[in-house]
Order: sequence, then C-alpha cells, then structure tokens
Amino acid sequence: MDIATTNHPGPRILGVAEVTRLVRDTLRAERGLRDVWVEGEVGQVSVSSAGHCYFTLKDERAQLRCVIFRDERQMIPFEARTGLRLVAHGRLDVFEPQGAYQLYVDTLQPAGFGDLALRFEALKAKLTAEGLFDPARRRPLPAVPLIVGVATSLSGAVLHDMTKVLARRWPLVRVVVGACQVQGPVAAGTIVSALRRLARFTDPATGRGVDVVILARGGGSLEDLWAFNEETVVRAVAACPKPIVVGVGHETDVTLAEFAADVRAATPSVAAELIVPSRSDEVSRLRGLDQRLAAAVTRSIADPQRRLENERRALEGFRPGALLAAERERVGLLLDRATRVMTGRTALDRSRLSRAADRLPELLGGRLARARSELERTAAGLVALSPFGTLERGYAIVRGPAGAVLRDSDHAAPGDMLDIRLARGGLDARVEAVRDSAE
Amino acid sequence: MTDSTAAAEQPPAQPAREEAQRRVAALPFDQALAELQAVVSRLEAGNLPLEDSIELYEQGVLLHDHCGRLLSKAELRVQRLVESAGGQLRALDLSLGEAEKR
Repeated sequence: MDIATTNHPGPRILGVAEVTRLVRDTLRAERGLRDVWVEGEVGQVSVSSAGHCYFTLKDERAQLRCVIFRDERQMIPFEARTGLRLVAHGRLDVFEPQGAYQLYVDTLQPAGFGDLALRFEALKAKLTAEGLFDPARRRPLPAVPLIVGVATSLSGAVLHDMTKVLARRWPLVRVVVGACQVQGPVAAGTIVSALRRLARFTDPATGRGVDVVILARGGGSLEDLWAFNEETVVRAVAACPKPIVVGVGHETDVTLAEFAADVRAATPSVAAELIVPSRSDEVSRLRGLDQRLAAAVTRSIADPQRRLENERRALEGFRPGALLAAERERVGLLLDRATRVMTGRTALDRSRLSRAADRLPELLGGRLARARSELERTAAGLVALSPFGTLERGYAIVRGPAGAVLRDSDHAAPGDMLDIRLARGGLDARVEAVRDSAE
Repeated sequence: MTDSTAAAEQPPAQPAREEAQRRVAALPFDQALAELQAVVSRLEAGNLPLEDSIELYEQGVLLHDHCGRLLSKAELRVQRLVESAGGQLRALDLSLGEAEKR
C-alpha cells in the first residue's frame, strides 16, 4: 500500500497516529491474522486490576504480546502461567496508544492436546466445506433390516452389549461383524477395510447384502477415539454404500465420523436400538393386521350370503323342490368353507406362543358363531315362508283356463282366459299372443 | 361367482395350498409383512368374488402366522466376516462368549 504516493505527489510527512493507523488497517486487512492459532511458551504474565491478563508467548526466535480480557478469561477454564507450552487462538490487532501489536486471545489450550483439537477443527472445516456433513446426504435407515454389518473390535464389551440389545429387541436380524482395531496407529486402516468388507458382503444363500452398517466403539479419551477423526475413516463412513450408524464413546464424545454418518448414535447400545424395530411393537402391529383381516373377510362373506338368501326366497314360491335344495346346499357349502377356514384358524392360533394374540381367534370364533346361527335362523324361517309371501314381493300366480298354474307359455294359446292372483286381489285376463320360451 | 361348488374345487386346491405354505415359510420377515399388508388392503377394498376373498384370507393367515412364528422363535445369529487370500468373504458363526474372551 502506498496511499502517501498515490494521493499526494512527492514525499509527505505523516503523523505518528497516521502511521499507526496505517499499520493497524494493514494488519486488520490480512485475513490470515484475524483467526490464528499460535503455539509457544508463556513468558511473563501479569493481571491488571480490571482483571485482564497480559502475557507473552515466545519461542527461540520471537515473542508475541497477548492479552485476554476479563470476559474471555472467565470463559477459559485454563490460566496462562509462565513456562507452560500453550496454544492460543485469537486475532491480531494494534493497540494504538502503545504502538504495539498483540494477539487478542479467546481460547487457550495446553499444547499437546491442542494439536489434536486443531487437526479436528481443521478437518471439520475442510470436510464441511466439501459438503460431507450435509444433512441432505443422510439416508433413512431400513425399517426392518435382515442383515446388519457391525464394524467394531472383537475385544471389549461393545460387541457383547450390542448383541444383547439386538437379541432382546429384534433377534430376527443377523449380525455380521467386520472386526477392526478401534485404537492405536493402525486403527484407521483396519476400520476402513472393515467397512469395505461389510459393504462387499453378500450372503451366498439369499444373495442379500447387509441392509445397514454400524461403526461402534466404547468410550475413551480424545486420543483413544482419535481414529474416528482420521480423514480416511470419515471419508469411508461418508462413502459407505449402505446406510450407516456411528456410535462412538459416551454421550459427550463427538467424533467427525459421527457427522458423516446417516445417523449419529450416542453410544454403541443406542446404535443397536436405533437400527431395529422392537419385537413388541411388531407383535401389536401384527395383531392389528389380523383384526383387519378377520373383519374384512367377515364383511366379504356377509354380502354374497345376503344375495343368495334373496335369490332363494324369490325362487322358493315357484320351485320349492330340487332347485331350492341345490341353492341351500350351495350356501351351506360356501358357509362351511368359510367356517372351516376361520375355525381351523382358531385351532392353529391357540397353539401360538404369543399369549396376547390368543384372544383374537376367540373373538373371531364368537363372531363366526353369531353369523352362523343368524343364517340358520333365516333358513328356518324360509321353510315356513308361504308362497303368498312371495306375492308380496311383486310376483304373481297365473292359472290357465283349466285352473292349473302356468309355468310355460306353450301351455297357453291366444284367446285363453287367465286367472291372475296378486298379493291383493286378482285379475281376469286374455292372452293376446304367445312368446316362445326361447325368446 | 361360478356355479361349481366349493366341494368340487377342494381336491385340486390342496397341492396349491401346500405350495403357498412352502413359499410363505421361506419369506423373510419384511417381505412377509409387506405381503400381509397388501392382502389386508385388498381384502378391505372389497369388490372381490367370495372365492377370492377366502383365498386371500387364507393367504393372509399363512403370512400372519409365519410372521408370528419368526417373531417368537428367532434367535440372534452373530457371525464374523473373514476374508481369504483371494479376497473371498466368508461369514463364520461367532459365539458371544468367544467374542468376550478375545
């Protein structure tokens, strides 16, 4: 920057404040200085009466003045003390009255720990920018998985705890374990290859692969859990072709692998809970379906029954003999079949293990018995029904000149007198023409 | 509704039923449940000939009982994936005690 030369031709004398301001603005314009992590050893420390803390960070070649204001000091659970190696975070600015540039600190950490925390933050920022943690990437878990792939260590309680949850909640699932190390320098590599193995697995018998994957580890320090913050592991989680749940450590532990997962579980046991339905929920769902099934079939049986009854009644006045018997048999057979289906069902159901589901067939049986006795009552009523009842529904009895009931148009000729009996009263009529019965 | 009586259809229907039983018995839970839901919906929609309704009902019962059996009899199976030199993956049964000991 050379404001002096562009704005005013020739040399110009600046005031101290002017120069200081120029330095300040230059410093502030530098993005790399607005958000810096600095590691060094703490030199002299002093705390002002207002509660602000002033100290220097130094290494073999340079010193940096730092200040922590009282408010920040109260937020930071850590005090600067001479001789400590620290990592400080903050922004660089110029304190004009003293013409000094200094680091305005908002975070302080011990140096060893700080390394990992820094890498964590840096990788988090990088992968966030790539969209790896985008919530829109998250896939739903399958409702009822058949095979679950678990990437975890064979030692320790984690696998045991998870299988215990699965055995109680949903033992129908099959667990396929991709063993890996979950701690130490080679852990990341073994986790990545375990995830790949699980994704590649297909059951030779069914041709099905895993429906969902769990990556799990018990609790530990930040160093212990570090493998789950390694870039290769985080990327492998994000690239997993199957929905993946990550449950690492305790509730309070956060790892980057969890951010990349479709679902983050607080602990391995919670992960196991999340991926399967509960057996008792499914039992009651089945019970509901069973009730709907029975109700629907009862309805669908009732309608044809009613129609057959109607037909039979209509026919009865005219053909009380063979046809009626055949129709009655037909109704009876259909009803028998329905009954067999439903009562056979009752016997089967009684032997079922689920005690809760046992009440259902009884209900069903009761309903069926009621439907049956209703039908029997109707049938009994039918036998007693007189032909005159039929007239009431709009039918008529026609007699020829000889007084015989006419069933066939061949038995009448044009000019014949007919006696028609209606429900109320009768008619004397003459035949105009005879239509063939074939018409 | 056809005129043939239910009794006349009974004998040839028997093998078909056994076939259906075998098919249902091999279904995994999720598929059996999905089929059961479909059967219930069709039956509830109505407008089916009686024969079809009864057939559907029988099918629904098979599916329901199969699901119930799966739920009550299942035992968790835990296996370990092992990769051979050729990259072949095999799943070997793993007892939980074994996992703990390691």
